[in-house]
Amino acid sequence: MENIIEVTSLQKAFGASRALKDVTFNVKRGEIFGFLGPSGSGKTTTIKILTAQLKPTAGSAYAFGVSTEQLKSEKYRQKVGIVTDNTALYGRLNVYDNLKLYCDLYGVPYQRIGEVLRMVNLAGEERKAVSKLSKGMLQRITLARAFLHEPELLFLDEPTSALDPVNTKHIHDGLLHLKEKGTTIFLTTHDMNEAEALCDRVAFLNNGEIRLLDSPKKLRQQRGEPTLTVELADGSMVIVPKGPEGADQMFRYMSTGQLVSVQSNHPTLGDIFVEVTGRKLA
Amino acid sequence: MTFSARRIFAILQKDYKDLSRNLYVTTTLFMPLLMAALFGRMGMGTISSYYIVINMGFILVATYVQSALIAEEKEKNTLRGLMLSPASTMEIFCGKSLLSFIATAVVVTGSILLSNYNPRNMAVIAIALLLSAVFYVGLGTLIGLFTKSVMEASVVIVPVMLIFTSGSLLIPLIEKYPVLAVVEYMPNLQLLELADRVETGAGLGDTLLHLLVILAWVLVIHAVAAYVYKKRMVDE
Ligand SMILES: Nc1ncnc2c1ncn2[C@@H]1O[C@H](COP(=O)(O)OP(=O)(O)OP(=O)(O)O)[C@@H](O)[C@H]1O
Ligand SMILES: [Mg+2]
Repeated sequence: MENIIEVTSLQKAFGASRALKDVTFNVKRGEIFGFLGPSGSGKTTTIKILTAQLKPTAGSAYAFGVSTEQLKSEKYRQKVGIVTDNTALYGRLNVYDNLKLYCDLYGVPYQRIGEVLRMVNLAGEERKAVSKLSKGMLQRITLARAFLHEPELLFLDEPTSALDPVNTKHIHDGLLHLKEKGTTIFLTTHDMNEAEALCDRVAFLNNGEIRLLDSPKKLRQQRGEPTLTVELADGSMVIVPKGPEGADQMFRYMSTGQLVSVQSNHPTLGDIFVEVTGRKLA
Repeated sequence: MTFSARRIFAILQKDYKDLSRNLYVTTTLFMPLLMAALFGRMGMGTISSYYIVINMGFILVATYVQSALIAEEKEKNTLRGLMLSPASTMEIFCGKSLLSFIATAVVVTGSILLSNYNPRNMAVIAIALLLSAVFYVGLGTLIGLFTKSVMEASVVIVPVMLIFTSGSLLIPLIEKYPVLAVVEYMPNLQLLELADRVETGAGLGDTLLHLLVILAWVLVIHAVAAYVYKKRMVDE
């Protein structure tokens, strides 16, 4: 599959502090790529470099086959959508006027406004003043704005951090729908459940370095222990080997009617993160 | 570099809606008009008194309102969105300058009428005022780019106002200290001298030099503003 982003040995220093030490990864066309890491690990810095808001100190970053430093052209901007906390809405204007401005900037018909508002579960809120919106609503309008021009590549910096579970689910469905239509999504998050639900592949970033990169499923299976956790009728939990050596034990639990449930011991993404980096996610 | 009227007018329209709900800035627009009406009533009919009012319009509307519009986009993190859109620097600059320019045109025209200023050669004065307005809007853009908030812009505007309105007071000083002769090339003094000469019957040919000096200021201020904009928008 074709790479839409190619990052090689990327480094970024702010004075003496090194935000990115040596970051290498590719993002394939059409996938949702999760960039996971604790606060301060360099997620936003990476997005800023990829969208030409920051110059890298060393290494290279390509998107659509062009060095990101040369990606300030109209053509590239038209293909990209960005949601970060430094791209705010106009507080004195209403929702409709905010989105209308972006329709004009991106050359999109105004009828898209209703469509994107439905995507973020805010249909009918066009006339509300932005200054009166809740934090979660603001976040959803900002997402809606990035959906307006149906970008080929979407950068989302913690897009659901202020949302309740229902709206998070709604946004996740919307993102999967965009993916189906061919949008590539680069997503940063602290939220391991979000990563599991959405991402085709995830990279674990810690202190400006990538520690692991694979599909969530493979990461979990590779690290799965060859054991089962068995819940018994008396409420106790027992660890049983998966191989032939555990067969007698399982047979005993089952034949005596003690068995309540069985669970395979795959770690969660969060467990793997702690194991690899020694750090908890925020 | 593209030039899309749709984008430029979209930014203008957005600024207009935004500004009309911003009392803090809109009240500023009436200051020069108030002064003009006052001066007109008092019958202060000298060229330099007309230009005190006109300069006030330039500084308060063209420069201050413009700096506030730019500074607020930075303060509220909205300029970044424009920059990341397909709009070119040129389109963003034009779009962001248009509202202050139009407001300046309205306010300066209004204050000329209210103060009963009747130049002998309207065409030359109109060109000079137009160029000056473009210069002062550019100055406002530059101040907006250097300041971080509307509050900061409101503070910075005070010394700028002193420099650009006390112009005629400097003339006696210049006569005493020849080193200060460079001050005569300030756009406000060029405008004043041009206006004086128009009253003695000067036409376009006689005032061309003044117009060219003001034009040079226009080009320099916008080049500097564009440079600062590009610099500030990366690596911040
Ligand atoms: N403009 C800047 N100047 C100096 N240091 C910076 C700048 N931007 C980021 N940093 C530093 O770079 C490091 C990485 O920051 P970054 O914003 O990329 O983290 P993050 O992974 O996005 O964190 P979070 O999850 O909190 O958003 C941090 O130590 C931060 O202090
Ligand atoms: Mg961040």
